[in-house]
Amino acid sequence: MLEHTEHALNFWGFQPAGSWHWGMIGNIPIDVNPKTLIVTWLTMILVALFAVVATRNLSLKKPNGIQTIFEMYYDFVVGLVKEQISDPVKATAFMSIPLTFFIFILFSNLLGLIPTLTSPTADLNTTVAFALSTFFIFEFLGIYYQKGKFFKHFLQPFIPFLPINIMEDLSKPITLSFRLYGNIFAGEMLLIVILSMMPPVINFCGGFILSVVWLAYSIFVGGIQAFIFTILSTVYVAQKVSDSGH
Amino acid sequence: MLEFNATLLVQIVNFIILLIFLRLVAYKPIAGLLKARQELIANNIATSEEQRKQAEELHEQYLAEMRKAREEAQAIIAQATKVSEGQAQEIIAAAREEANRVKDGALKEIEREKEKAVRELKDQVAVLSVMVAGKIIGKTMTADIQHDMVEQFIREAGDLPC
Repeated sequence: MLEHTEHALNFWGFQPAGSWHWGMIGNIPIDVNPKTLIVTWLTMILVALFAVVATRNLSLKKPNGIQTIFEMYYDFVVGLVKEQISDPVKATAFMSIPLTFFIFILFSNLLGLIPTLTSPTADLNTTVAFALSTFFIFEFLGIYYQKGKFFKHFLQPFIPFLPINIMEDLSKPITLSFRLYGNIFAGEMLLIVILSMMPPVINFCGGFILSVVWLAYSIFVGGIQAFIFTILSTVYVAQKVSDSGH
Repeated sequence: MLEFNATLLVQIVNFIILLIFLRLVAYKPIAGLLKARQELIANNIATSEEQRKQAEELHEQYLAEMRKAREEAQAIIAQATKVSEGQAQEIIAAAREEANRVKDGALKEIEREKEKAVRELKDQVAVLSVMVAGKIIGKTMTADIQHDMVEQFIREAGDLPC
């Protein structure tokens, strides 16, 4: 039933199945999910196009519409980061990472709502990749800004807390990735489930209304999840780079 | 799609590529632009503040000058009034003096004319008396007639306007 609906939604015949095999490194096969990657590249192209168009003719006194949108976005994320990281030098150095996370994840989530396409973020590989990036970034920035003091905070408040502190750090990328993956994957899956549940009434009697409502909700969830991912990575980084620690 | 494979690494690379691209193409120009706009607005505010201050100073200056000018004008008017009053008094005094002088002259002239007229009249009276006497002497002259005549003549002469 679900396959049937997915097939019916596959309007453009875009359905690379299976996985691409990109050769071997030693004994490890390099396999990738083509669907995820193609939509990721599409997302990257769209984000890059948006950014280029928005910043092509920058005007100091009379910004046009798209420039204003990009400025608002920039101001919004910069405001979030500056709320978390009080030191302006550290905040500026870190700024481009949450900026990229937000717009990348937002575009990914929304692209998945187009029939045939799936969100890159509905693939656990993508969300784990993003969360691992965050993990490495906050560990690296913590060591960079705190030097030796950074390792001392694992022993706070007492030495026996060491495993708990390590688990706390490790749980951050896991929760980040599974939250994003779960929300987006569930949203797409439910869209298909709703459509497959009511094939007889889908074309009349307003049977599509439920799916439209769910689509609108998914757009909302896509924005919210992008925001949550961005703000949480910022908070994690802020915890690590601030001198007071925790 | 729960199994992990190399997609994970490719996604990290994708993210880094997009990060670098956006940083070069979008974030830096936007940050520069926002900073420039902030400076522009700060400059505008500072300039307008300064201009407002200057305008206030000018206003104060103009007010002071106007006040000064008004005081000066009043001083000038007061002085002019004083001067003109003095002049008027002088003119009036001069006119009065002149009038008195003219009047005195006229009175003296009248007196002189009167004396002259009286003197001429007396002369004429004498001549007339002689002529009348001659005429009467031509007729019969009595003491009474002579007396009456002389009397009459003198009365007439006294009635003459002089």
